[in-house]
Amino acid sequence: MPARSIYPFATSSPTSTPSLDALNEKREQPRRTSFTKGNKFTSLFGGNSPRTRSEAAALREAFVAQQQALLDSPSPSSKPLPTINLTSASDEKMSTEQKTLFQPSEIEKERRLARAHAQFGPLVSEHHRYVSKYEGEFGDPIEDEPPYYFLLTTYISYLILIVFGHVRDFFGKRFRKAHYVHLAERDGYAPLNSDFDNFYTRRLKMRINDCFARPITGVPGRYITLLDRTSDDGNYTFKLTGTTTETLNMSSYNYLGFAQSDGPCADASEQAIRKYGISMASPRADAGTSELTLEVEDLIAQFVGKPASMVFSMGFVTNATVFPTLVGKGCLLISDELNHSSIRFGSRLCGSMIRMFKHNDMRDLERILREAISQGQPRTHRPWKKIMVVVEGLYSMEGTMCNLPALVELKKKYKYNLFIDEAHSIGAVGPRGRGVCDFFGIDPSEVDVLMGTLTKSFGANGGYLAADKEVIQAMKTQNAAMLFAETPTPPVLVQIASALRIINGDLVPGQGEERLQRLIFNSRYLRLGLKRLGFIVYGHDDSPIIPVMLYNPAKMPAFSHEMLKRKISVVVVGYPATPLVSSRARFCISAAHNKDDLDRMLAACDEVGDLLQLKFSSGVAGGANPEEKLSQENGALVKSPPRWKLEDVIKSGVEDVQFPLR
Amino acid sequence: MDLQEAQTAVTRILHDASSQFQRMPGSAIILRYIKSSYQNDPVRSAIELFLFLFAVRYMLAPSYSTQKKVKLSEEEIDELVDDWTPEPLVAPPTSFEEMETEKRAVIVGPTGPKSKLSNGRTVTNLASYNFYNFTSNESLKEKAITTLRTYGVGPCGPPGFYGTQDVHMKTEEDVAAHLGTPACIIYAQSFSTISSVIPSFSKRGDIIVADRAVNFAVRKGIQISRSTVRWYDHGDMEDLENVLKKVTKEQAKKPLTRRFIITEGMFENIGDVSDLPKLVELKLKYKFRLILDETWSYGVLGRTGRGLTEAQNVDASEVDMIIGSLSGPLSAAGGFCAASREVVEHQRISSASYTYSAALPAMLSTTASETIALLQEQPEILTGLRDNIKAMRAQLDPRSDWVRCTSMVDNPILILVLKAEVVASKNLSTQDQNELFQDIVDECLVNNVLITRLKAYPLAQGVHPRDQGWQPQPALKVCVTSGLTKKETEKAGTIIRHAITKVLKARK
Repeated sequence: MPARSIYPFATSSPTSTPSLDALNEKREQPRRTSFTKGNKFTSLFGGNSPRTRSEAAALREAFVAQQQALLDSPSPSSKPLPTINLTSASDEKMSTEQKTLFQPSEIEKERRLARAHAQFGPLVSEHHRYVSKYEGEFGDPIEDEPPYYFLLTTYISYLILIVFGHVRDFFGKRFRKAHYVHLAERDGYAPLNSDFDNFYTRRLKMRINDCFARPITGVPGRYITLLDRTSDDGNYTFKLTGTTTETLNMSSYNYLGFAQSDGPCADASEQAIRKYGISMASPRADAGTSELTLEVEDLIAQFVGKPASMVFSMGFVTNATVFPTLVGKGCLLISDELNHSSIRFGSRLCGSMIRMFKHNDMRDLERILREAISQGQPRTHRPWKKIMVVVEGLYSMEGTMCNLPALVELKKKYKYNLFIDEAHSIGAVGPRGRGVCDFFGIDPSEVDVLMGTLTKSFGANGGYLAADKEVIQAMKTQNAAMLFAETPTPPVLVQIASALRIINGDLVPGQGEERLQRLIFNSRYLRLGLKRLGFIVYGHDDSPIIPVMLYNPAKMPAFSHEMLKRKISVVVVGYPATPLVSSRARFCISAAHNKDDLDRMLAACDEVGDLLQLKFSSGVAGGANPEEKLSQENGALVKSPPRWKLEDVIKSGVEDVQFPLR
Repeated sequence: MDLQEAQTAVTRILHDASSQFQRMPGSAIILRYIKSSYQNDPVRSAIELFLFLFAVRYMLAPSYSTQKKVKLSEEEIDELVDDWTPEPLVAPPTSFEEMETEKRAVIVGPTGPKSKLSNGRTVTNLASYNFYNFTSNESLKEKAITTLRTYGVGPCGPPGFYGTQDVHMKTEEDVAAHLGTPACIIYAQSFSTISSVIPSFSKRGDIIVADRAVNFAVRKGIQISRSTVRWYDHGDMEDLENVLKKVTKEQAKKPLTRRFIITEGMFENIGDVSDLPKLVELKLKYKFRLILDETWSYGVLGRTGRGLTEAQNVDASEVDMIIGSLSGPLSAAGGFCAASREVVEHQRISSASYTYSAALPAMLSTTASETIALLQEQPEILTGLRDNIKAMRAQLDPRSDWVRCTSMVDNPILILVLKAEVVASKNLSTQDQNELFQDIVDECLVNNVLITRLKAYPLAQGVHPRDQGWQPQPALKVCVTSGLTKKETEKAGTIIRHAITKVLKARK
């Protein structure tokens, strides 16, 4: 579907566009006036430069276009909408509203449904569900290696990029001095960014900048609407063209599909704004604790299975402020090497000694523990006051889960405190969506502190901590974010509460279950499909994060562009977020996707994989060819690279998802 | 093999070696150099040869840890592991902390100038930063709902990965236009903004000169940057100049590093303002960059709420980075850093709490845009608040024998500390003062006025109180709001004043 030009709509007055229903009409109008007002002020107060004005205009146009796009047809697929809606996750309140307000015509009904389906896809068949289960043994996922040719070319690519970058710098610094002033000393000021540190950004990242930070509009649900932009100065600046493109969303952390602007969650949030206002305008410790805050804290505590919990208005800050209350001088913090930046940030503030162990390597962890406990603190050899092991439930770049059974086993022996960051795993992992403890069937009381974010699975914002009552009480009196930072706002709190209630089954029974089971089915289906097509995929079977390895740096932008051409938005990541060689594309699966979306995704990957030579798996990580599967069952260990045909993948995918992804 | 043979073998080897050596290009020069420089002094040559060999050995030696490790057998380690008992995760709460938890106000229903608490009382709320009562503004609510119905609640991703929405770009432009800076970047939370901005520019080896009384978030930002910090006395521009002079002198011979002056526009814990024209003058004179935390002054000071730059007539572009808050008075959420384009773009990839955190919910972003527009359109909103501040101050500062207000006149947060003579005559420790103020807060609550105490900086575990650095003086915090009439404000002020008198008189 081509990107629609919006100019015809932009020129017509907003009110002249036929509105869908009375409610929408009432809501749209004040909003638009407010935007124009803002722009007037933009130009009044200093923002007189033509750039600002044109960008603001483009923004406004894009906004109008987005509205229009949503009304027109939200789905890029030209298939007719399914007549039977099996899902219970779509707009529940619709039927009642239709009765009370007015009788919409068939076309309008269809459009509303289409809008809801653009945020949350209808379930195609009841078979497309999977109940997550732990098989009883934790195996590290097998990581496949590409042929040496690709490793070698990756290194050569970086070498070329670096050499070329230096050559450009060499000439640039002599002939285009204006572009380098910010890197040199200027009348007695040291440069804000050092030339060396900035090299990677300037010469490598800048080339693929258009793959990052793509601006969007609307709900990041099943589909996501990108604002089109172009750059005529090598990605240094971007201009919005004023058009939008609706793409399949494989990039947002919308695991359970709660990013919706209709449905029970949004209705509850709207009620919350009306009743409680938009903000609490005060830190928790002063007058920012609302009854809603306490209610959400109780719900979260119940949900994760801990006696108490507390919420924060930002996930990053949860980690950044939690450690000083728990560990300090004389304590040891042992952290997984791939832990998130927020954990690093927070642990650097707490004053304890920090050591790292190899990602998910329990033997390395045990070695460090034995050494630490037997040797005591450095120099003084006094025993450590406390040892805390910090891991993540699900690693966002690898798609691997922490080895919780082994961690709990080690904890019994070495008596350390265990802190798990469930930023990605809460809601997304486990048969009941309660995170890694639920997945491995481990009592949450075995873990000292469970931290998580509310951004990802619940479509809200913020973070939480769940622990014993004393720990939470200490947090509430000593935590900096509690004392000084703003509180989560009422609509966000209510979004969290209603999402939790839906997963619990208290609200709209059956829907929470459906979301959980669809998410795991989707993850397994796509993962299996990609493996069978021949891609190297990292991570555990049930993880909704699917990293597909690209290796060569130039394949990052190529993959991103090719997918965008096919109207799919994906995230590509390279060094420094990953090791130098293993650049990757990362797909985040959502319960809002249905099998049609995943088949479309597989078809796109199949084409792009052939085009970019991405199918280099050797077969050790699963996805075996059909004839080999038979011989494997007979005990033979012949592995040939799996290169299934797309039709076969789609044909047998649904059944095979029910078995281990071999 | 007899001695003779061995000797000839050695001679032959020596001969071969010397002929090989002479065949090497440049060998003659080395020989001549050694002969001439050492004048055939064999002892000296031997010592130097020894030194050379030692250096080679040192270079080739495996690296070793400076930490001495005791060698232990596996059984011994097991025994030590069994013996080791860690401390509990948290210490049991002190009685004061328990009381704090118990007494924390819980608001039922909406927050506003009159709020209902969980104990059933309806109180005059002078504890929220709801200065303009935007939380009760119906049209703002309607607009937020419209955004909710278009964008959902959360943006479900960090700004770098499809989390940047058009509304964020619009709010960035609005803030930049309001302040008059070329660019601006929106963070998802105000508290974490400055803690993340500082380390994204100031690194190890860089120099930070900061006011001693900066707030907790700034302090953490400085700590995480690992830069060299020099403190100057709060608000003392002479001391600042001395420190700057000293730093410049010390650094004169060293390679040029980044240097920053970090201070607050309006101080969170004292309530007074910085002398911005002087700061700008000094920063230009000594070639420092100025990072100004306007979290508490943005939306409050100046004719249209532009903050300290507007109040003191300084061009915002003179300040290198202005950090401010969209929560609190603006009734939305999030923080921002307004600066030059280059500074802003750098943060988009290197500022931890921007890059690694989900973006701001769309409806909060649009609310911020709306409230900024309101402040610009209707400056009388600000003057209305100032009238109330004046009324409240008149009740407290000149009239009370016990407390004085350290806030500047336009600050809606009145920070009330005990007068020095009161502290001296009653011999009050910090803890005593905190307890007294808690009693005053309770007394006010009995009379249906909700105020709070200033919170001390929490200490990290294991830090001795003597290493804690600057701590705010215990104080009462009274937040004025224009949601109350002048009469109501005065009445609340009287109640607070009487509560102070009652509690302090009771204290012997």
